[in-house]
Amino acid sequence: MKEINIFHDAINDGKALASKIKKTDKKIIGYLCSYAPEELIYAAGFHPMRLFSSKSDIILAENHLQSYCCSLVRGVLEDSLSGRLDYLDGTVFPHTCDTIQRLSDIWRMNNRYEFFWDVILPVKLNTQSAKNYMVDVLTRFKKDLEKASGSKITDEDLNKSIQTFNRIRKNLSKIYSLQTKNPGLIKGLDLYALVKGAMIMDRDEVCSLLPKIVSRLEQMNTQKNTAKRIVISGSICDSPDIYQALEDAGGVIVGDDLCTGQRWFEGKIMEDQEPVLAIASRYSDRMVCPAKHIGPAVRGENIVSLAQKTRADGVIFMLLKFCDPHAFDYPYLKEFLDKGGVKSMLIEMDGQLSSLGQLSTRFETFTHMI
Amino acid sequence: MITAGIDIGSITAKAALIKDNKLLATQVIPTGYDHLGAAIRVFEAVLRKAGINKKDISAIVSTGYGRASVTFADKAMTEIVCHGTGAHFLNPEIRGIIDVGGQDSKAILLSQDGKIQDFAMNDKCAAGTGRFLEVMARAMDVKLEQLGDFGFLSNTPSKISSICTVFAESEVISMIAKQEKREDIIAGIHDSAASRVAILARKINIKEPVVMTGGVAKNTGMVEALKKHIKCDLIVGDLPQETGAIGAAVLASKL
Repeated sequence: MKEINIFHDAINDGKALASKIKKTDKKIIGYLCSYAPEELIYAAGFHPMRLFSSKSDIILAENHLQSYCCSLVRGVLEDSLSGRLDYLDGTVFPHTCDTIQRLSDIWRMNNRYEFFWDVILPVKLNTQSAKNYMVDVLTRFKKDLEKASGSKITDEDLNKSIQTFNRIRKNLSKIYSLQTKNPGLIKGLDLYALVKGAMIMDRDEVCSLLPKIVSRLEQMNTQKNTAKRIVISGSICDSPDIYQALEDAGGVIVGDDLCTGQRWFEGKIMEDQEPVLAIASRYSDRMVCPAKHIGPAVRGENIVSLAQKTRADGVIFMLLKFCDPHAFDYPYLKEFLDKGGVKSMLIEMDGQLSSLGQLSTRFETFTHMI
Repeated sequence: MITAGIDIGSITAKAALIKDNKLLATQVIPTGYDHLGAAIRVFEAVLRKAGINKKDISAIVSTGYGRASVTFADKAMTEIVCHGTGAHFLNPEIRGIIDVGGQDSKAILLSQDGKIQDFAMNDKCAAGTGRFLEVMARAMDVKLEQLGDFGFLSNTPSKISSICTVFAESEVISMIAKQEKREDIIAGIHDSAASRVAILARKINIKEPVVMTGGVAKNTGMVEALKKHIKCDLIVGDLPQETGAIGAAVLASKL
C-alpha cells in the first residue's frame, strides 16, 4: 500500500525526514518516552520527534553510562554524542524511569542543543492531587515552550493540536482493532512502521494518511488466518526483524501493551474541556507504564483483559535488557496470566538482535506449544 | 512406514530412522560449515547403517540450529519440540528434560501425554553450553571426553565467578597461573556451567523424572554437577545426543 510505504520511508531514513521537516522552518524537539506532552510541543509550532537508537556501536556513551543501562538510552546518547542527532533543536525529558532521568542529567551537561526541559511528572497519576499537580507542570512547560518559540500558545492552537493527536490515536486504534478482528490483515512490520512513523513524521501528514489506510484496510478481502494470535507486552519494540520472525514461526500480532504501541495511543483527550486540564486528564486515565504507580493489580488485570479481548493464544513479553521497571513487573504480570490460563514467554532483547536463530527457535516452539 | 529425523546441531549432525514406532538406527557426524552437506551425509550414513533404501523413507523432519538448511526435509521443527517428542518416545514417564547442546541449553517441561508445557532457553551467551566446556577443555589442556573424569577427582572445586565464557576462560587461566589443581579447576568449571543451566530448570519449575539429553550428557562430571544444582536425579539414556533426531523421526511419522 503506497500510504504505508511513506511510513516505511520515514522510519528508514530519519536524517532525510529531519531535513525535510527543517525545510518547513520547524524546530525539532526530541523525547524518549510516551509521557512527553506532544500536544503542547506541536501547539507551540515545534515538531515533536520521538528518539530511537540508531543501534550503532556504543563508543562515546560508554564514558557516561555503564553497560547495565538499557540499549535505548545508551544508543540515543551515543547518537547524540557522535552528532547523529544534530538536527535536534531541543529535547524534553518526562520524569519516568531512572535511566532516562540520568540520561537527562548527562544530556543537560553536554549541552548540545538550544532547548532543554525536564517535565517532572507525579509518581502516581490517577489521584486528584496528581491531576492538579499535572496541570501545574503542563502549564509551566507551556510557558517554557512559549518563551522558546517567542509566541503565545492560544487555546485555539491547543485545541487544534488536541484534535490532530486525537485523530491520529483514533485511527491507529481502528487499525489495531481491524487487525484483531482479521489477524494478518496488516503485516506486523507495517503495523510497526505506522506506529513508529506516527511518532516521528509530520503529524498533519500522519493525520491525513491514516484515515486513507483505515478505509483501504476496511475494503480489503479478509482471509481466514490460522496463525496463533499473539499479544506483545513490554516497553519499546524497535527491532523490525522480530515481526517477520514471529510471522514466519506461525504467529500473528493481534494487540500489544507497548510504549511504542497501544499504551501510547489509547485514550482520547476531551475536546470540550479547558485544554491543559484535558491533556492532564488523559495522563491520569491511561494505562500506566511500570515506572508509575497505580496499585498492585491494575497492570496484571489489564494484560489478562487485553489477552481476552483480543482472543490471544499467548502473550510474548519483549523486554529490553536492563529495563528494571519492566523486569520488576514481569513476575506479577506472568502470575496474572498463569492464573488466567494465558500462556506467556519472556524474551529479553538487546538493541541489536544478533541471534535471530535462537529467537526463531523460541517463537516456533511457543506457537507450537500454545 | 519408515520415517527419518535429521538434527543439524551447531557441532554435530544427527540422524535417526523409525519403523512402525520402533527405532531402527541412529548416526552422529560433525556438522562443519556446510549444513546441507552434513544433512545429506548423515542421512546417507544412517540409511547405510540400517540397510535401507532412500526411496523407502516416507517422511523426513529436520530440526536443530540448521533445520532450515535441510531442503529435502518435509518439515522443519524446533529442537525443543523434537527433544520433547524424542524423550517421551524413549521413556513416556519423563516430565522434565535438560538439554545441553553445543550452542544452547534448554529446560523443557512435558505434560503427561508428552506435550510441551513450558520451556526456557539460555540467552545469547554461551555460558552453560557445550561450547563453553570445549573452550575450557582447551584452556585446561585436556580432551573434551576426559573433562568429566577429571572433575570427579576433586574434593574442593575452584570457584569460577564469571558467567561469560570469555571472562571465565581468563579466570581459569589465572587459576592455572596460580597452579591450582587441574581437577579442582575442572570441577569448578562444571559447577559454574551447571549453575547456569539450573536457572533454566528453576524458571519452568521442572518436574521429575528428568532426563538429560544433548551431547553434554556424555560428560559425567557435568551430569553430577547438574544433579547437585537442580537438586533432583537426572536420567541419562543410551542416546542423549540423538534424542532430537529421534523425536524428529517420530514427528515425521505423524505428518
